Amino acid sequence: MKYCRYITGLLVLTMASMAGCATTLNVDVEQTFPEVVAEPRDLSATLVMDQEFRTYQAQPNAKTRIQIGQPQVDLMTKAFSGLFAEVMVVSSREQVRPGTDLVIIPSVREVQLSTPSESYLNVYEVWIKYNLDIETGDGVPVDSWFLPAYGKTPSSYLLSRTTAIEDATIVALRDAGAKLMLDFYRIPAINGWLQQQAALQAES
Amino acid sequence: MTYRTLTALVGALALAGCASTTTVDDYRPTSEPIDIEPGEKVAILGRRDAGHYETDTDFVECLADRMGQSDFQIMSEQEFIDALYPWFEPRTAPKHLKRLQRLMQEPVLQEKIREENLRYLVWLDGEVESHGATGAMSCGMGPTGAGCFGYTSWDKEAVFEAIVWDLVDLTEEARIQVDSEGTSYVIGIVAPIPLLTRVESQACSGLGKQLRSYFSHEGR
Repeated sequence: MKYCRYITGLLVLTMASMAGCATTLNVDVEQTFPEVVAEPRDLSATLVMDQEFRTYQAQPNAKTRIQIGQPQVDLMTKAFSGLFAEVMVVSSREQVRPGTDLVIIPSVREVQLSTPSESYLNVYEVWIKYNLDIETGDGVPVDSWFLPAYGKTPSSYLLSRTTAIEDATIVALRDAGAKLMLDFYRIPAINGWLQQQAALQAES
Repeated sequence: MTYRTLTALVGALALAGCASTTTVDDYRPTSEPIDIEPGEKVAILGRRDAGHYETDTDFVECLADRMGQSDFQIMSEQEFIDALYPWFEPRTAPKHLKRLQRLMQEPVLQEKIREENLRYLVWLDGEVESHGATGAMSCGMGPTGAGCFGYTSWDKEAVFEAIVWDLVDLTEEARIQVDSEGTSYVIGIVAPIPLLTRVESQACSGLGKQLRSYFSHEGR
């Protein structure tokens, strides 16, 4: 009887430890970003961020899920407000009002994660790859722009896995905002479109 | 007697272990104190653009604490990068004065600097490295107890450079390099006794003292 109890206890312990090993880590990134310091151009844009983008859950590997929906919506809204004088945020392409200069549809291509156990570095790294489909208000495609962003923790020393992944993701999101502000008007197709608009305005 | 000798030996080693040599080299175009009005702020920012290392956030905070003991205000690193987002992120931050001058041509940035009452930026770059590990120590456990025996030591070096930029006049005001070296020991006499050198703290103290003296009104 005594042995039976002992074996049952051992079985329970083994099952509990196995269940522990199979746990998926859910990292919920909750972050708001600062307003960007920039002089927006006198143009209007509509940001189409659908439900999938708003609740986006990245799964960089089988054991990790990162919720980046809310912070990426906040970041995109603020970054584009620094690029365009007027920014509207809608949930679908059908909601775009006529008269808007550009329609921008962001989507996440991929999220990658590197942990110290994989890289043998004392840091956690996160890569977020965005795609921005840019169209004119009339629906004419302008460009499909690839926007990569990178973030890492200064050091993973004394950080929990969840905190480290969250910190690296926040740095990557901030980097996405920085790249957007730096390069958006340098995209050749956008630059060409701007010149075309300027020429049309001069004609009229 | 033996006990006293041993205590004296450990004490002497501890003192030697704790000791570090700190050298502060600075370059300034003038010996006049740096102009700072009451209420104006100094921001301290660590470089994050190098691939293989990052300026330690704790070191930046330590320096901010040291400089915060002055009569001017210190703006924390996070506060600064948030206030000027996204122009001081690792991807966008100006690495040279010329880039800063170009960046500050943006009226909206000039306005923000004025609004925040920011006057100087201290760019901090550096790291702490450990090298030259010698000695050996072994730890064991038996039925009667556990213990460590042996001796190991390693050298630590903290090298940091601080560059002071005037965000209004867009000039470089000072450049300081601090180099702090020391040796850490661990002596195993049953229990391991760590005698660690605090080079980072020494470098922070030396740099903070030097920077504070530049902004000091007392020297006028």
